[in-house]
Amino acid sequence: MSIEVTLTVNGAVRSATVETRRTLADFLREDLSLTGTHLGCEHGVCGSCTVLVNGASARSCLMLAVQANGAEVTTIEGLLDGGTMGVLQEACRDSHSFQCGYCTPGFLMTATELLNERPHPTATEVREAISGNLCRCTGYESIVQGILLAAERGA
Amino acid sequence: MKPPLFQYLAPSSLDEALALRAEHADDCAVLAGGQSLMPLLNLRMAFPGTLIDLGGVSELAGIREFDGGVAIGAMTRQRATERSELVRDRLPLAVRALANVGHPAIRNRGTVGGSLAHADPAAELPAVALALDAELVARSSGGERTIAAADFFVGFLTTALAPDELLVEVRLPGLPAGHGASFVELARRHGDFAVVGVAAAVALDSGGSIADARLAFIGVGGTPVRAREAETLLRGAMPEPAAFAEAAERAKTELDPGSDTHASAAYRRRIAGVLAQRALQEATP
Amino acid sequence: MSAPQATRFTGKSVRRVEDEKILSGRGRYVDDIRLPRMVHAVFLRSTVAHGRIVSLDVEQARTLDGVVAIVTGAELAQITNPMQLGPETPDVLRPVFTPLATDKVRYVGDPVALILAESRYAAEDARDVIFVEYDGLAPVATIEQAEDPAGPVLFEDVGSNVLYTESVQFGDPDAAFAGARVVRETFTPQRVAPVPMETRGGVADHHPGTGDLVYHAATQSPHALRLLLSGLLGQPAEQLRVITPDVGGAFGQKAGVAREDVAVCAASKLLGRPVKWVEDRVENMTSATHARSETVEIAAAVDDDGTILALDVTMKLDLGAYPILPFAPSFLGPIVRTMFVGPYRIENLRWQHSAVATNKASYGTYRGPWAVESLVRELLIDDIARELGLDAVDVRRRNLLRADEQPRKMITGPTIDGVSSLETLERAVELAGYEGFREEQRRARERGALLGVGFSTYIEPAPGPIDFFASAGSHLPPSERAIARLEPDGHLTVITAQAPHGQGHETTLAQVAATEFGIPLEHVRVVHGDTQLTPFLLIGTGGSRAATMASGAALHATRLVKQKVLAMAANMLEISPDDLEIVDAVVAPKGDPERGIPLAGIAMAAYFATPPGEDEGLRSSALYEQPAGGWSGGTHVCFVEVDPETGVVELLRYIVVEDCGDLINPAIVDGQIRGGVAQGIGIALLENALYDEDANFLAGTFMDYLMPTAMEIPTIEIEHVHGQGLAEVNSRGVGEGGTIAAPPAIANAVADALGGVRVTALPLTPERVLDLLDAAGGAA
Repeated sequence: MSIEVTLTVNGAVRSATVETRRTLADFLREDLSLTGTHLGCEHGVCGSCTVLVNGASARSCLMLAVQANGAEVTTIEGLLDGGTMGVLQEACRDSHSFQCGYCTPGFLMTATELLNERPHPTATEVREAISGNLCRCTGYESIVQGILLAAERGA
Repeated sequence: MKPPLFQYLAPSSLDEALALRAEHADDCAVLAGGQSLMPLLNLRMAFPGTLIDLGGVSELAGIREFDGGVAIGAMTRQRATERSELVRDRLPLAVRALANVGHPAIRNRGTVGGSLAHADPAAELPAVALALDAELVARSSGGERTIAAADFFVGFLTTALAPDELLVEVRLPGLPAGHGASFVELARRHGDFAVVGVAAAVALDSGGSIADARLAFIGVGGTPVRAREAETLLRGAMPEPAAFAEAAERAKTELDPGSDTHASAAYRRRIAGVLAQRALQEATP
Repeated sequence: MSAPQATRFTGKSVRRVEDEKILSGRGRYVDDIRLPRMVHAVFLRSTVAHGRIVSLDVEQARTLDGVVAIVTGAELAQITNPMQLGPETPDVLRPVFTPLATDKVRYVGDPVALILAESRYAAEDARDVIFVEYDGLAPVATIEQAEDPAGPVLFEDVGSNVLYTESVQFGDPDAAFAGARVVRETFTPQRVAPVPMETRGGVADHHPGTGDLVYHAATQSPHALRLLLSGLLGQPAEQLRVITPDVGGAFGQKAGVAREDVAVCAASKLLGRPVKWVEDRVENMTSATHARSETVEIAAAVDDDGTILALDVTMKLDLGAYPILPFAPSFLGPIVRTMFVGPYRIENLRWQHSAVATNKASYGTYRGPWAVESLVRELLIDDIARELGLDAVDVRRRNLLRADEQPRKMITGPTIDGVSSLETLERAVELAGYEGFREEQRRARERGALLGVGFSTYIEPAPGPIDFFASAGSHLPPSERAIARLEPDGHLTVITAQAPHGQGHETTLAQVAATEFGIPLEHVRVVHGDTQLTPFLLIGTGGSRAATMASGAALHATRLVKQKVLAMAANMLEISPDDLEIVDAVVAPKGDPERGIPLAGIAMAAYFATPPGEDEGLRSSALYEQPAGGWSGGTHVCFVEVDPETGVVELLRYIVVEDCGDLINPAIVDGQIRGGVAQGIGIALLENALYDEDANFLAGTFMDYLMPTAMEIPTIEIEHVHGQGLAEVNSRGVGEGGTIAAPPAIANAVADALGGVRVTALPLTPERVLDLLDAAGGAA
């Protein structure tokens, strides 16, 4: 069965008819072609698919698209500021935060929520905040440094 | 790993939800925050014929004072709960427990009622309900009843809810002002389900001895377990390491943990004693 | 005004070329590819470890909405060639198998049927209504069971589970052991999984009109994949092209050809439609490769002063079920054997090895595949120190090769040269404040706190000297090619044979080329990952080669183009090319930039008036030969605190002193080290690809297979020691060392904290640590 949903994605109102069992992640990736959101485990552990739903981080693999009906969703594509990278992204670039790029969107969305709620976190708070996101490449230090640099620059 | 086909129903009121629950009682799953159900659907370990999404039942979300304690609507998000002034004031144990529930992204979506009704024996909130002698309010189209936490958790992922009932609220009595609380758990990684966890609360009388003590364990069997004999030992004792050690030893005899790939039964029992002492120490005001 | 200086981009942590793309969600991974008429592939996999397929009923599934086709193992076998390792090799049994199981299944997760549907959802729906009946056979769950001549055999065609054995000795171990003191131990490290965050996958696109097949694959070895697929599919090589889009990590798991690759490509040919396969995480854990899982019995003959006289090693390797082509069952043993003496002065080695098939997922390469040699050797050194009442650092000092002893032949064959292990150890001891720590440890113990320190010293062939490969029986090419081409606007394209997937080669090779050529960094584009364009290199990205080999090839190809540019400019300016230089994209007489010609001007001439004998764009191809030296290595130090009541291990401090030569991009180098150490921490403390006694897999999800999070990884301190450079390109690989050296450093630290127990198995779960503590008589 399918249902019509309307939601705001990265500031634009999007309407679509979706199968009710479709995950929000698949809806974003397949129906809206927002492939920046990645699927790493599809059981809610790795955090690669993290998006913001009404400003709060959520695993898009653990939500049905229909549950986002009426919500405001922000994805990695929404972090671009008029086509250019935002403060967090630039700080992560300067810090060599990531390597293969697969976990990257989830970390950036998690960090966005963190910096919204706590503009000047300590390194420990950053580690705690990103501990629901798995990265296999970096050993995390560069990600922590990137987020701290973003905070310093006033992300 | 995609959810199987199901009939999706999204009631917008509790009455409607209860009617649907009754109609599909033999083959339905209830979607609250989805943080436990969605993995089961994605893994195709659950094949519900019907999915009832409570997301639109706004009357189920909310936190209010109740008889000196706090009543939390089943659809209240865990993140909202841990941030609630009322909860922080009255239920320090709940706040400490919630800090151990997954990660912020999980708590943003996960609900208090969902965690309780899912009844994972390694989950934190059931232990809080058990330790605080919570009452769980179950409603069906036929009416409402309250179930004591001690009677609610029946077995592994199994509760006393009837197939046509929904958990609508949990009422958590507060302990006396000035009581202390602690939630200590050992997980293999930060944010994981506990190998063993302990919820503890301690209230002292004017003479400094223990007026009330609560101890509930997770990860030690099919349900969360309250160590009532240990609590009895503590009542009236001075809050000192020897008393905590004795209580912890007693508590270990009240548990019947199992083994899995993360830890053996023997390790769990042993650690339960260690964590109980630490939790009691930390909970002592 | 002074003349502009040539700009050096190497040695600097310049920002990565790759990052703008990945930070803005514009990466393009396999799962992001969507082609017209594309169907989705899902595999039905065995639920039993070992059994005969009695019946396979796909009829109901074929009728479901959205299902395009269901291909059984037998059907697929008719359109593919049997899978078998390449040329016959002495002492190696080479089973023949098919992309999908036909008559029997050999592990939980063995692919049995391929479902092709309009969506992944529909394909999974179909999978749920395919019914397979198995006649269970006794599972081969352990090495012992595999070796039992009376036990069940996985591959009847070869008649034995023991696919390879070797027995060899170096020096005179008998003489060395005679009368010597012997320290012995048996180590059983666990099976682990590489776990790239992106699972395996590919989109096969067969064009029925032309017969061309393009496979967009998440692979680290596109040429190996193409070569093998060509044979297995009967697809002419000129009509088979492998393209690697962005790849989300591999760590050795995406090397070679998977049976699923063959099935997916064959299905695309069968349907004449593009087929996308992206395995889900449970499949990745269950059916992609696992690694490690060796058991090692070792004895060391030692002097009372801690001199190691000889090693006697028996290593058994659990290969799982199906060999991953092109890795023969004999590929690992000789490498481990060759590396076993490491950077130490060990002159005698007796070596026995067997590799056996079991009913488990395939053994595959994983970051530092031979790491067990360092693990076992470094743990044993600490055991030796304790047995002899010596300091473990002193035992290392006594046995490590000094700089003045090099070059020399390792007893196992390769030339060891330029290795600064001893210097890294001394520097690590200094940084760690090791002397003072013993007092701190004693005081901590008095108050019941268990602190420990552990060291490990290692080398890795990165890429190793040329005689390493001969010694290790490896067929890796001793050279690597790159192509450089001047573009019409004066920019430079460098085509590498690497297939990077996180290593940052688009940046580092551009740094090398831009510096050599004298142009801005952003004028260089590094192209990779398309077999139509890139030079042939079987291994692709792997084996810690790129820092030396790809850099050397890029450097030389660029240099050739530069020479041709200078020759053209010399003609125009009527001056000797020797008197010209290129600075900031201008070719000018040295010290006289005013007379310079912009590179773009020469580039146009290179296209419109190509000098005789030259290729378009002065395109040049260079082969870089493996130079001498080639070892990276270092010392890791780890400080831990063990909770005596729970067994929980906390990493207090972690130090790496590394010698990988010149750093092209220090931030990238440190990222490789930290990432490697993080995986080593996972191996030491958390990860376990566990099977039960019936060979059922118990770690299929991320709730069971525990990789470290940011809370489990401490800040890793890194210091670089720059030993003697032996080659023109003195940057060496650094990808594998962290994962090799961290497990023994951590395990030694835990053993030290527990008062000198022997750690013989990993991971060090809280329960295992507590058991060790109990065995040692508790914390008192």
